[in-house]
Amino acid sequence: MTMKTPLFSRRHLLRAAGTIVALPALESLGFRPFAPAAATTTTAPRPRRAVFLGFGWGVTEETWLPDARVTGSNYTLPPGLAPLARHKSELTVVQGLANKFANEAHWGSTFWLTGANRYAEPGQSFHNSISIDQVAAEQLGTSTRFASIQLSSPDGVANGHGPGLSLAWDARGKPLAGIENPLAAYHRLFSDETAPLAQRQALLAQKRSVLDAVLADARRVQRGLNKTDTDKLDEYFQSVRDIETRLAKDEQWLPIPRPRTALTEPRAGLAGRDEIALMYDLIAVALQTDTTRVVTYRQPVGTLLSSLGLKIAAHDMTHYTTGDRLDASQRRDRAQCELLAGLLDKLKAIKEPDGSSLLDHTVVAYGSNIRSVHFLDNCPMIFAGGGAGLKLGQHLVLPPHTPLCNAWLTVLHGLGIAAERHGDSTGVLGELQA
Amino acid sequence: MSIRPLCLIACGLLCSCSSLAQAAEPAAARLDETQRAFFQQYCVECHGAETPEADLRLDDISFVIASVEQADRWQKILNRLNAGKMPPDDALQPERARKTEFLDALSQTLAQARQILGDQKGRITLRRLNQREYRNTLRDLLGVELDVRDLPADGGTGTFDTVGASLFMSSDQIEQYLALGRRALDEHFARAPARASAAPGQPQPFTAREEAEVFGNRRMNGLFKRTKEMHDNHVRWAKEVDEAANRPENLEVAAQLRKKAEKPRPSSGVPYATPLLFYHDWDQIQGAPAPTEFGFKDAQAAFFEELQYQKFFSYYADYQLLPNRDTGAWLLFYQAYRETYISAGETWPAGRYTLRMRVAANESAAPERRFVEVGQRGDDVSDFTVFSAHQVTGTLAQPQIIELSVDVAANGQRKREFAVREKRPNSRTAEISSYFDEFEKTGHGPVPAIWIDWLEISGPQTSRQPAAVSLVAPAQDQDREGARDLIERFATRAFRGIRPSADYLEKLLALFDSRRSLGDSFDEALKEPLSVVLASPGFLYLREPSAEAEGGSGSASGTRRLDSFELASRLSYFLWSAPPDDLLLALARSDALQDSAVLAVQVDRMNADDRSRQLASGFVHQWLGMDRLDFFQFDFRLHRGFDDSTKAAARDEVYETFAYLLRENLSLRRLLKSDFVVINGLLAGYYGLDGAGVSGDAFRKVSLPAGSPRGGLLGMAAVLAMGGNGQFTSPVERGAWVLRKLLHDPPPPAPPNVPQLARLEGQMLDVRQRLRAHQEEPQCASCHRKIDPLGFGLENFDAAGKWRTVDTYLLKGGAKATWPVDPAAAFHNGPAFKDYFELRDLIEARSDAFARGFTEALIEYALGRPFGLTDEALAARIVNRARDKDFALREFVQALVASEAFHSK
Repeated sequence: MTMKTPLFSRRHLLRAAGTIVALPALESLGFRPFAPAAATTTTAPRPRRAVFLGFGWGVTEETWLPDARVTGSNYTLPPGLAPLARHKSELTVVQGLANKFANEAHWGSTFWLTGANRYAEPGQSFHNSISIDQVAAEQLGTSTRFASIQLSSPDGVANGHGPGLSLAWDARGKPLAGIENPLAAYHRLFSDETAPLAQRQALLAQKRSVLDAVLADARRVQRGLNKTDTDKLDEYFQSVRDIETRLAKDEQWLPIPRPRTALTEPRAGLAGRDEIALMYDLIAVALQTDTTRVVTYRQPVGTLLSSLGLKIAAHDMTHYTTGDRLDASQRRDRAQCELLAGLLDKLKAIKEPDGSSLLDHTVVAYGSNIRSVHFLDNCPMIFAGGGAGLKLGQHLVLPPHTPLCNAWLTVLHGLGIAAERHGDSTGVLGELQA
Repeated sequence: MSIRPLCLIACGLLCSCSSLAQAAEPAAARLDETQRAFFQQYCVECHGAETPEADLRLDDISFVIASVEQADRWQKILNRLNAGKMPPDDALQPERARKTEFLDALSQTLAQARQILGDQKGRITLRRLNQREYRNTLRDLLGVELDVRDLPADGGTGTFDTVGASLFMSSDQIEQYLALGRRALDEHFARAPARASAAPGQPQPFTAREEAEVFGNRRMNGLFKRTKEMHDNHVRWAKEVDEAANRPENLEVAAQLRKKAEKPRPSSGVPYATPLLFYHDWDQIQGAPAPTEFGFKDAQAAFFEELQYQKFFSYYADYQLLPNRDTGAWLLFYQAYRETYISAGETWPAGRYTLRMRVAANESAAPERRFVEVGQRGDDVSDFTVFSAHQVTGTLAQPQIIELSVDVAANGQRKREFAVREKRPNSRTAEISSYFDEFEKTGHGPVPAIWIDWLEISGPQTSRQPAAVSLVAPAQDQDREGARDLIERFATRAFRGIRPSADYLEKLLALFDSRRSLGDSFDEALKEPLSVVLASPGFLYLREPSAEAEGGSGSASGTRRLDSFELASRLSYFLWSAPPDDLLLALARSDALQDSAVLAVQVDRMNADDRSRQLASGFVHQWLGMDRLDFFQFDFRLHRGFDDSTKAAARDEVYETFAYLLRENLSLRRLLKSDFVVINGLLAGYYGLDGAGVSGDAFRKVSLPAGSPRGGLLGMAAVLAMGGNGQFTSPVERGAWVLRKLLHDPPPPAPPNVPQLARLEGQMLDVRQRLRAHQEEPQCASCHRKIDPLGFGLENFDAAGKWRTVDTYLLKGGAKATWPVDPAAAFHNGPAFKDYFELRDLIEARSDAFARGFTEALIEYALGRPFGLTDEALAARIVNRARDKDFALREFVQALVASEAFHSK
């Protein structure tokens, strides 16, 4: 087989995409498969983790955004954020951020983590670039079983997220598939194969032979294709390379059992609030067990409303006026914030070997490209946790139209990733750094 | 999705530009010169060359938008204007009308510029099978029906699901293809014994029957007896508690407790007051006997048992009086016995089975209740998955047998159970309120509507479409050579007639060998390489090499003519969303398919084939944007009749009508106005066309009485329901849909950052008053003056497509406001109409525009790429040819298939 250096080639691709990353020191290119989190000593610096939670249709700005005149630490949490009161000192609310190319009033997630210009590519009606989580995963994901985890829900387009299969887009700007329900996520992350080691090794060898075979056919298909088609088929080649990378990783992780968790197998068919709560549980455990260090979750909105007993279509809710719609919109805000507060509780309660909490080493980014209704500027944005060295406990009001990607760049730097830029960023936000 | 004809641009926007014939340079959108004065006065005045405001110069910006950068610059200007930020408050403000015109022109021009800049110039990108095609292809290949919901959704960038550029591949997806292919093969092999053992017409090997009265009546009798018994116990207990309470020493406390019982007690789960609560507190009454002495677990249990009695005993008692309970049972609307079900036996092979039931309807139940739904039960009544709905026309005197086919999955894959219940809204609240509405009115529950004698499942059927390749190897061929032969035949068929490479086959055979060496049986070992075939690019992609790569061996235009196999695939995925069948492959092998007469005959054959239903559902669904029908729940309180089964029938009506027009080769104009509909018994009832004598589940052509608002898309419940939110109508949604889909004049996409009108909050306004506000602000009016009037004309249909003359608005607290519907309005800069019928006539008179929009959509769907500027001539040719035949539907298809573009890569 010809692709034995997947990481290196992907890094090259990275530079061609929306982000420029300085090549890290050589050792970070290699795996440290036999030194997962549990085995490291308590004196080693704790790994940094990043979680991105996108909720599509924005918020009720009147009751969600804090009063812009009161900044700093002495601001008052508005009713929409009230459930987060106990975490006020652990989070920062940022106003003024926007993706300057955003024009699609119903796309709250497509460009949220990328900052791309949909029309950047002449001859195409859609273009995207790498999302920040994938930039982070390149570096944070080398020594975990999964470089990153994408979670999603089955009802994307109608729920204000816009095109995409999750929040994540790869180095070529292609959508990354998300795991669409808690049950599937549970099995992917924590189900142990019961077969004996030798059998699993044989299975890996078999999988490699399978990839070998499909590549043989791919080479036949490739003959005679024009450049566009070759590029398209390259998605297939790249996907095979990705599986190979994963298999290589699987092989190194083979003798190490999956982490035991107190979580039991979730019930199938959960929707809305319960679904989000369970996904949050899975995120917390995935980070705790160092199964991955980078997670994105494209949350459901429509089913959240149904689960709150609200009989209103998500899009109608966003066009709220006094009455049922406004009420639904605000109850949605509160439910979402209660869930977030629950996640922060969990991350805080999980103790790291050095006595600190998991939240101290995790950055949680929570927001949407849509503010309210059809507004795409002043995107709702909350950062929580100490993982990216951000200044917490603040209400930060930035000048209008500050690039959202400046915030992402700041997060990348805080995570220890020497990116020069991301999307349309123009620099880091000093105000946001601790 | 579409670019309006260049001729329109030439008249409207490119008035100073050269004609189409001279358009040698790449086309570009141009903002009309008539807007120059406005721009100069209200924008450049401050943002000029010298000391421009905010350092933003606009004097040098070109009215021709020829690059992404220019488009982005104009987008910014449009966004500022839309946001109401410019001109600033302290500057000279333009007249509303002029600002409206400017915004209209700029947003249209910009939308055009985006399309031109994004134009793929006729380039078709390598297509992967989408979810529908993948499912259909596996069905053809292996004769199995697969649940492909595990696959990630396709693209979703607003294009058709056939557009290659929007169909992606990921590592997860390849692994899912491997797993799904494996599952399909498992099912195929699981069905093999059934295929081998029985010939058509022979008795089916596996049968199970559920006599409804056995379970149903036992359950209902039990409930009746138990409820009665518990009530008798409660009466005896209450009597003794009362006696104790009446003793002098208890009088005071009893009086207090009776008073307490007048208040609801949510903490005990009783949110309302009832005298029964008095007994809940029995232990405070000296000498009162414990409920446990009367057969109750505790006072709480006694309380709820008695409550059950009060609310449901009459329901259970009434059941005991129903006729024909010796041979069957009645399905209840509320709980207790709401469905009966049957399961395929554990040892039965997967396959297509026949489900039969003997049923009758209660003639005193409302006609809309005389339907059953077949489906799968979930945890709750609202989790029921409806597979199909069936009208029950049988009577107790003459019951009817309903027969349908169902798929039984391989054991352990999915539920193998099939349930039958009365048709209903899929909602627990609906069930509860339906019961209590009736109970409170009459003291009885809803009368049962459906009687069922038995439910039977048998099979597997043998007449089911056979697999394209037989994978059963005779015993003597079960060796390595036999395997090689099978793998090669399978791969060739899976690759739609293209032979796989020798290298690939060797690798597949090695996989077989390796499984064999691990002890797998011949069949089992075969599944490994075969499932790899189903995840290989040759299967997943429609490969079409190009001239560019072959050193320009194609035509002068740089395109390459498709070979016969490529053509066969393009054709069958266009018309069937499925791979070419034996006949098409044979015609490809002999190259006869390149003959235009042969090709035309094939198109006719394929249009007449059952598989053309895929064009109706796949294409029409996306063309008309019908995914919106699933965006929201319909409020059963407002639209009781529009349950899931009715919604499904309404959706099918759109497909069935299209399929009928295609089959009969009727005019596309029948979608705008028609004197017939294509409906089934359910919809006949829903539309109030009971007089037409339509009953049963099959869709058929039904002539309409004079003056009917039905006939054509605008009269279809599905289309009208999409133009609302499940509760109320949305004239905006409907108007925009008419512009987009019928009049081929799409409004620009909803602009971001337009402030909402807050002025009207809390006021009680009718639809018209609310929407008139749209005309106030130029940034709203620029689009809404075109959109809203068309929506007003459809206001005689409610949010579930029923005809109405009065509109209602529910106020907080339950009060209602009503006003008569006023459908009169006028096209923007166009003719007026006084009602729906005149509006429909005006739209029908614009059938050229409709045909044009349809053609552009068809080109995009068939070729798998966005409609582009380069397709202008093609679209014009197709429309012209079809117009000569009064827009007969097959003419569009024939003209497209005969075109150079359809034969070229």
